[in-house]
Amino acid sequence: MDEILAKNLRESVLKFDRQNVKRLVQESLDKGIPPLETADVLTNAIREIGDGLSRGEMFLPDLMLGAKTVSVGMELLEQEISRIGQKRKTLGTVVIGTVFGDLHDLGKNMVKTLLVANGFEVVDLGVNVGHSRFVEAANKAKPAILAMSALLTTTVAEMRKVIRSLEEAGLRQRLKIMVGGAAVTKEFAKDIGADGYEPTAVLAVELAKSLVPAQTE
Amino acid sequence: MSRTGFKRRFPPLEILSREDVEQIKQATLDILKETGVRIEHKGALDLLKQNDCLVNYDNFRVRMPEGLVQEALRRCPSTFRLKARDPKDDLVIGGNTVYFNAAPGMGIVDLDTWGYRTPKQKEYQDAVTVLDALPYVDWFSCYTPYFGYEGVTEAMKMTMGLVQNLTYSTKFGAVGFANYNWDFNFRIAQAAGAEVLCPALMVSSPLTLSEFAVEAAFRTLDYGMPCGVDTGSVFGATAPATLAGALAEFNAELIAGIVLIQLKKPYSRVMVFGFPHAQNMSTGSPYFGNIANAMFNAAENQIWRDYGVPLRNTASCYTSSKRIDFQNGMERSLAAIISALSGAHTINLHGGVYGELTHTPIQAILDDDLAGMVGRFIQGIEVTDETVALDLIHSVGPVPGHFLDTDHTFKWWKKEQFIQQCADTLTYPEWERAGKADCIAHAKNKMQKILANHTVSTKLTSAQEAEIETIVREAETFYGKRGDLD
Repeated sequence: MDEILAKNLRESVLKFDRQNVKRLVQESLDKGIPPLETADVLTNAIREIGDGLSRGEMFLPDLMLGAKTVSVGMELLEQEISRIGQKRKTLGTVVIGTVFGDLHDLGKNMVKTLLVANGFEVVDLGVNVGHSRFVEAANKAKPAILAMSALLTTTVAEMRKVIRSLEEAGLRQRLKIMVGGAAVTKEFAKDIGADGYEPTAVLAVELAKSLVPAQTE
Repeated sequence: MSRTGFKRRFPPLEILSREDVEQIKQATLDILKETGVRIEHKGALDLLKQNDCLVNYDNFRVRMPEGLVQEALRRCPSTFRLKARDPKDDLVIGGNTVYFNAAPGMGIVDLDTWGYRTPKQKEYQDAVTVLDALPYVDWFSCYTPYFGYEGVTEAMKMTMGLVQNLTYSTKFGAVGFANYNWDFNFRIAQAAGAEVLCPALMVSSPLTLSEFAVEAAFRTLDYGMPCGVDTGSVFGATAPATLAGALAEFNAELIAGIVLIQLKKPYSRVMVFGFPHAQNMSTGSPYFGNIANAMFNAAENQIWRDYGVPLRNTASCYTSSKRIDFQNGMERSLAAIISALSGAHTINLHGGVYGELTHTPIQAILDDDLAGMVGRFIQGIEVTDETVALDLIHSVGPVPGHFLDTDHTFKWWKKEQFIQQCADTLTYPEWERAGKADCIAHAKNKMQKILANHTVSTKLTSAQEAEIETIVREAETFYGKRGDLD
């Protein structure tokens, strides 16, 4: 890819300049640059923000606005990737959702954003997701990881139900389960049989990375 | 008969100008009228539509006219009684009275490692006994002191916690709801002869009420129990980063709940809870102890005084510290005094260490000193001929005169000072001779004394215990059938 174009695109993401990102991505497509190459520039830029967050140099609003900025370019690229029949390499698929009875999705969205930035494909089920929907999605998307979030002490028990439903559906052994959210503790995660818990979005991504190889072995 | 709390004897702190208040209140009305709120409950949508709201059944969006909002607020009692198991522990909420309540933790803090774990049943009971004994704990928050104890399944935790609280304390309590436990919890409270306050109408910020929350609120009203409206605005995340914007949205979320309550059952007792706090923009965790939280509470207290609805400051005294240390003391003390000065009717304080994750009776004992100091402050300075003591000053005169042996000093000094129970107040030599004990050591001693000497003033009767036991068995059967007791 054209070095100057790549540099400008990266800087535009880091400046959260959505208009410029859209323009530069369109320019790359017009020049016939393979869309996967351009997509790499965008994901590398958002990963830079994620790394900055890990180092305490950047903050969540940077990450979320960065993700929003990248998505403007990704929308254009995905259309072209799909048209030419290519597929992006990913670290694996993660099905993610906030459990039934809980409408809080900020934490989940942060994890999702960082997972995407780090090369995972994410199927987001949204909020208030019942155990049967988790099972349905696990069946359909065949994820490496199923991730659940709960903010409230009153809804956290739903996680146990989801795991039980996955066991009953014979899917539990095919995937890893990670849980998080303000109401979740390491002790609780262990008790319900989850494979991992981390308290922050940044650490959740590290956890996901550590779970994937184990899953594919 | 009721608990007296502390009476603030001077005008409350006002952090906003009159114009500020009006601008924020107008913004709240605009939010309710133009953007509206999402209410995922068919019965609630029907009720609101019948009362002149614009209702879109496809996206659950409800837009509320100003007249309806004003009428709902008008219907809220500005003062009301909350009935405890023993009338001496009733609360009269509203006016210039400030109460303190115990705060929850999901686990018990280990004072050696500062880690936490699920408490054992005896530890739960001891914590309730300590809270029952402390003079400035006026009531218990939901799932306080702990979110259950060892050996109890998730589904039964709140219910079994409530049973312990009613057994080992006569103080009033709030109760949480989950998993359709409301019937069991309300019936258990009634069996013990008490009311419970349920913050049932829990808004999912921004601007959304789940079906479950509405259902819980309606069941609360069916039982004739007081209902809390609650929302967890997070500045810069679920609400604008600006405190003014967050206030406008926070108020709209709570008022939407109040409209629903006052339509369902007019003139119901409502208390505003609310869990507003800053977000830690590095981790996404709550930023407890941030001064923005206290500023928000001060403004919230001012505005809701205008609305005439009693309120509790919930997250104000939460700290980000995991220990009982300087940060902990600094953050909770600043918040407590600001909440009390600005007119909170009740302040969530005793025992909670980090957010709602951890609790320890040692913190609760230390907090009782804090509550006493804050309470003493807001009771102000009494100025009369007797307290100005002009005659006394004339009679004592210059050195070698002194006041130590006067009847006036004997009568007044204990009223004017607040004597802390656990602070280290010794001179240096005395402190060294006494083993260099710090406030935590003093609190541990006090806890031992409480557990050795305190028992609940009125025990449950055997008939009450039997009825509660029957309800607990029903709950176990209910959750057993649902497969929730595994």
